[in-house]
Amino acid sequence: MHETAVPRHPESQQFTLLEARGLSYRYPNGQAALSGVDLTIYEGDRIALIGHNGAGKTTLVKHLNGLYAAQSGELLFHGEPLQDENLKRVRLDIGVLFQDPDDQLFCNTLYEDIAFGPLNQGFTPEEADALVHESARKVGMEELLFKAPHNLSYGQKKRAALATVLSMHPDALILDEPTANLDPRQEEVFTELIREFPGTLIVISHDLTFLYGICDRAVVMEKGGVHHDYTMKELASQRKYLREHGLESSFRFTCCGGHHHEAPTHAHPHSHGRSSSMGAAGGQSDDRPIARQKSGDSDAPLIHLLDYSYRHPDGAWGVRDIHLHVNEGESIAVAGENGAGKSTLARCILGITEGRGSYAFDGKLVTKKNRKALWRQVGMVFQNPADQLFCPSCWEEVAFGPRQMGLPKNEVEARVEEALQAVRLTGYERRAPHHLSSGERKRLAIAAALSIRSRVLILDEPTANLDAGSEDLLFEIISHLPVTKILISHDMALMMALCERAIVLHQGRIIRDYACAELERDVHLTSINGIDYTLKNACRDAMLSLQEGAA
Amino acid sequence: MHISDGVLPTSVAVGTYAAALVVAGWSARKTKGEDLPKIAVVTSAFFVASLIHVPIGPTSVHLLLPGLVGILLGPSGFISIALGLVLQSLLFQFGGITALGANSLMMGLPALASWGLFRLMKGDSLTRYIVSAAFAGGFGVLLAASILALLLAISGEDFIGVAKLAIYAHLPVVVIEAAISAFSVSFLYKVKPELLGVALPAAS
Amino acid sequence: MEPRAEAIRYPLFALLLWGGGAVLAVCLAAAVFRALKARRERLRQFQDDAAPRDWSEPAIDASAHLDSPFHRWDPRVKIVSLLFFIFCVASLARLSTGAAAIGLGLAAARTARIPWSRSFRRLGAMAGFLLMLLIVTPLTAPIHPGDPVVVFEHLEFLPINLRGFFPAGLVCVKAIAIALLMEPLVGTSPLANTMEALAQIGAPRKVGEMILLAHRYVFVFRHEAQRMATSMEVRGFRKRTDMETLRATGNFIGMLLVRSFDRTQRVYEAMLSRGYGETTRSHVAFTARKIDWVKGAFWIAAGVALLVVDHFRGA
Repeated sequence: MHETAVPRHPESQQFTLLEARGLSYRYPNGQAALSGVDLTIYEGDRIALIGHNGAGKTTLVKHLNGLYAAQSGELLFHGEPLQDENLKRVRLDIGVLFQDPDDQLFCNTLYEDIAFGPLNQGFTPEEADALVHESARKVGMEELLFKAPHNLSYGQKKRAALATVLSMHPDALILDEPTANLDPRQEEVFTELIREFPGTLIVISHDLTFLYGICDRAVVMEKGGVHHDYTMKELASQRKYLREHGLESSFRFTCCGGHHHEAPTHAHPHSHGRSSSMGAAGGQSDDRPIARQKSGDSDAPLIHLLDYSYRHPDGAWGVRDIHLHVNEGESIAVAGENGAGKSTLARCILGITEGRGSYAFDGKLVTKKNRKALWRQVGMVFQNPADQLFCPSCWEEVAFGPRQMGLPKNEVEARVEEALQAVRLTGYERRAPHHLSSGERKRLAIAAALSIRSRVLILDEPTANLDAGSEDLLFEIISHLPVTKILISHDMALMMALCERAIVLHQGRIIRDYACAELERDVHLTSINGIDYTLKNACRDAMLSLQEGAA
Repeated sequence: MHISDGVLPTSVAVGTYAAALVVAGWSARKTKGEDLPKIAVVTSAFFVASLIHVPIGPTSVHLLLPGLVGILLGPSGFISIALGLVLQSLLFQFGGITALGANSLMMGLPALASWGLFRLMKGDSLTRYIVSAAFAGGFGVLLAASILALLLAISGEDFIGVAKLAIYAHLPVVVIEAAISAFSVSFLYKVKPELLGVALPAAS
Repeated sequence: MEPRAEAIRYPLFALLLWGGGAVLAVCLAAAVFRALKARRERLRQFQDDAAPRDWSEPAIDASAHLDSPFHRWDPRVKIVSLLFFIFCVASLARLSTGAAAIGLGLAAARTARIPWSRSFRRLGAMAGFLLMLLIVTPLTAPIHPGDPVVVFEHLEFLPINLRGFFPAGLVCVKAIAIALLMEPLVGTSPLANTMEALAQIGAPRKVGEMILLAHRYVFVFRHEAQRMATSMEVRGFRKRTDMETLRATGNFIGMLLVRSFDRTQRVYEAMLSRGYGETTRSHVAFTARKIDWVKGAFWIAAGVALLVVDHFRGA
């Protein structure tokens, strides 16, 4: 099913849906977002829109949907410029699935949200009602129609947002990072929904393996222009193209594909026979600025949870019967479906939530009293850096923790400098975190945690939504951090490359605790919690074999 | 602090409703039609911000933010405030439904006044912005407390003592709001100056 | 001040006795409340483990899924008649009629099957304001000849005018009665229906639209603010009475606003891309039947009756 790519002939017989000629756009502040985009989109096209963060993909998409008017150049919809009636039509006929479902679900129940489009298309309430039920059924949410969006899980919201667009029966569907932050099971469901869509597809994503399974044409954007227009197969089979466009994370395709060029200097997961211990991090800590000497009783695990459970105020289990010990210097991957308790476990380790059972940190029992001080020992980098960055400058952001510790001024300064250096953001001190690129913000968030010099760092999906270049840099930085790492992720390749050990959570319980390599081979997981990494693996293997053939 | 149901005589409740509607109508006309949904979304953010508690000594106060709303939304600030109060009343019973008009005037007029004050005082430097924000923020709360006192006082002579107390009780809030407004505006000046109407330097 | 001459005088220990009694009562109430809460907690631990996860937070229309005479009532008639009744209650001048209004409020809340916790939350939200009135008014109400005044020994500068309890108590009674009616009024229909009804009564459509949008995004920003607060906590932020706390809070609000303004734009674009424009249609249609009018007439009659009794017995 992944051999769907069809070579595209420019002189195709298909009808032209949208055509951009010399399309340019500048932001109000004068910054150029698009410069001279020439692109023809045919009916039935399945286009992957690829490029670095900031290459102009989102801006282009907003033109295609009629949200932005062409400042220069022209954009034709069915051969006519986007004005008046045609503008209204393009908005109704071309559906957009935005990145954040909370932007798209702006009503108080799903029903109203899904009915919003059809009602604006001029359908009567009765007709709209039928459309609502039809598209809710398509995404499998008919029984949730009268729920408020804030009562849905992220995956449900994402599907609901798709339903709001599907109910309008659009000719074309534009998807902006559709699978970001979804767990593998939900991603599969979502992929299937997208694949079933009969019309034209334009998909923005950094996830090449995902795109490969859906699209047949790849449009690469760079610096506001269309840089290349390939068939998907062409792009995927040529490693040099991938590298050229920064589409290839080195760890993602070299780690298990056999091409060890630029092999990152991390402990390779395939050596899982080795006992998971200080190995990698311990060896590096000497020459690293942020080094931490192991203290206290060397036999006691750094984190030791025994029979630990937490229940949410509404009575649902967060985590239950957790037995976990993490040694200093270890890197542990935490996997599991969304809602399996990964975040709750992190909150317990951080000391933000207090459950039942015993929790010892560095051999000392965590009590009500010293739980409040745990933040000096355990740091966390949250999934969305926007939730973490709230200072007007990078310097203040990184200095926040040390200041809260009450350190003297020169010590704060030293730590900020050191932390910024560790994430390669030296020189960014006075810039506003809000204006950095998403990769830079991720790194800044890490620096803000590093300056506290905590011994454990919890990383929640650190590489989500990043282009391959930023991902690579972040990966390199993280893999060199001489701290104990707990990585929460759905990203198999990242877990494999970064961690030796993996635990799998399911319904709040730890159901697996083994070497990372075993996780990859663990076919039983699918039947237990529906987590299926095999689809992505199959796509990756297909691409790798294409590349082998081309090489 | 919002006035609950049952305090205001019916004539005052109805009169303030009418007055608030007039001002809200003016405020809505001053707002571009396409901005109305945007104001609604921003109002939710102000609503959430006003739930933040700031400790003073053993107790804590929650923020009122009329100054900041005025600074950021200008003449549209009044509808934003009124909308926020409708939500507070319907969601939490903070402020009675019969006192909605009075409460809107009490918080909305200071927002408009703060906007005027800020516009007069802000110069073209960060320091001027910060100072004017502090004044506008503090003044907003002071004015709100005064209107509250006035409304209580005309509700019956027995409540005059309560009215005086309300003013004193708001004095620490004046200081806190002044500081918070100053810090927030300083943050916005550095991070998103266009929200404050700061002229944007042309990017390269 | 002459009125002090007629004051009833008590020795200071009486105040201690009364004050102690009041504190004891409050403590007892708190203890009972805690015990009940703990019991609920214990019961919860025995719940079915597979119980569905419910992250619901209190929305205005949290009880809209239930069924009752209030839920089946045409919201247009409901809004008009209940609002009329509420304004009647707000105009009452006697404790007895106020108490009757509370009775009606309780009956309405029961009939509408509103969970007690919802009604209690509303009453709790007003408690601060009302308690303040109850304490401050007797201490500050101007003393007229003939007022019952209580003075404690050594506290002559603080006469307690018992008449002050009347206006304060009246406010409490009316506020409680109206608060009880709020849930039957706005909690028994989906919010969108309530707003559509408002529009059909004659309120500008934009008003309802804005209330719906604002209500929706309160939850989004609340979650956003909670996540931000957590990340500050992880980096050691603890609220204190100092400049640093104010600075961090100011930054926090600034960031919240920046994010909200960014989101505003995105939401507006999402609305546009689904055809938001001149005409907003609603999927709701109402039909007022005879029973709807009967219910409306009942509440209007009740309001008028309360006012009449209030007025004539007062005269």
